[in-house]
Amino acid sequence: MIKVNSLEKSFDGFKALSDLNLNVKKGSIYGLVGTNGAGKTTLIKHVMGILKPDRGEILVEGIPVFENIPIKERMGYIPDDLYFFSTYNLKESAKFYRSVYPNWNQDRYHHMVKQFELNEKRKLSKFSKGMQKQAAFILTMSCMPDYLVLDEPIDGLDPIIRKLVWKYIVEDVAEREMTVLVSSHNLRELEGICDSIGILSKGKMMIERDLDELKSDIHKIQVAFKNPAADPYQGLNVLHRETRGTVDLLIIRNRKDTVEDVINANHPVIFDMLPLSLEEIFIYELGGGDHEIESIIF
Amino acid sequence: MFQLDLKSRKSIYEQIVDNMKELIIAGMLRAEDKIPSVRELSKTLTVNPNTIQKAYRELEYQGYIYTVPGLGTFVASPAGLPVDEKRISLVKEQLRENIRELLYLGCSLDRIKTIIAELLEERSDWNDKGK
Repeated sequence: MIKVNSLEKSFDGFKALSDLNLNVKKGSIYGLVGTNGAGKTTLIKHVMGILKPDRGEILVEGIPVFENIPIKERMGYIPDDLYFFSTYNLKESAKFYRSVYPNWNQDRYHHMVKQFELNEKRKLSKFSKGMQKQAAFILTMSCMPDYLVLDEPIDGLDPIIRKLVWKYIVEDVAEREMTVLVSSHNLRELEGICDSIGILSKGKMMIERDLDELKSDIHKIQVAFKNPAADPYQGLNVLHRETRGTVDLLIIRNRKDTVEDVINANHPVIFDMLPLSLEEIFIYELGGGDHEIESIIF
Repeated sequence: MFQLDLKSRKSIYEQIVDNMKELIIAGMLRAEDKIPSVRELSKTLTVNPNTIQKAYRELEYQGYIYTVPGLGTFVASPAGLPVDEKRISLVKEQLRENIRELLYLGCSLDRIKTIIAELLEERSDWNDKGK
């Protein structure tokens, strides 16, 4: 279990994180999303005990993580900007990891090297970006971490490798109840894999929820009335509204039955309700729902 | 066993519930058949085990499957299925829509009746299955 309580961090007077809370349950796959500069990487570095908080606490299994070696031995981390010793190849790096992480699994390492078809003898600095990511993934997963923290793990990977990476992650979650915290901008991919989602905005946690619950609480509806009432959407939490001819397109944050009750009370001629994708939730929740931004994104 | 559509607007959780039900209703999975464990299914589909767990819990709640601790998860016998009136009225609503569409397409009422009778005929063996 990873728990962050009212974390605060400033860099040279710039407040990067303020009053931030995060809860990752054991055995869950938690997706961290947010705009550029929202503080995802800073938060992740705190969770890994790399940065020291100005205020607040970061607890892994109830214990502060900073400089806590027994916990950190059981945590795997793949940063966005990878680092390898400049002259090392994969084999030498594996030897180094083995000396640091007590749960190192040599069999898995060999198996993965074979499966990813990487050359153990070639210098890591000569690898392409995607191959370096794969190397980092092999090294981290061979440490058999109980907590896996990934910062933008899949960009730069081809679809086949991506599938393989997720397969390994899901397998470890299923078999060993590994806990995963993953940040990404690829919302479609996160949507398919995560059970919980945290949306970060300007150094604060905006929404933190079970993904299915989040999705069951926000709807896109298309509706048209023959004789529209003055305000047919009274009592509904309308995030976004757009009119196309006689048809209204709305994004509403309410429970499904509440929406149905309110709309049906006004006898609509057209009434369609669709669940939103994570990508749409992200855009509307972070205020990008207006036309200008929308036309750039789509 | 079944495929998931990652592009669908339906959540993976709903897709698993619906797919399982379909397999059970179509008779591909029969009463007392063992279904894959959460871990197995999670690995074959590359889906978060927590999602599968939740889908199984829902299926169990709706009476389609049952779990014996230590042994696994099994398909429940259809006789034990509770009748969900709320869902029945939903399906009835869909049927009403479908009939309206057939009328739009120019079918006569008699023709629609024949169509429905044909469809019912396809399921005529259902009563023998113990329900």
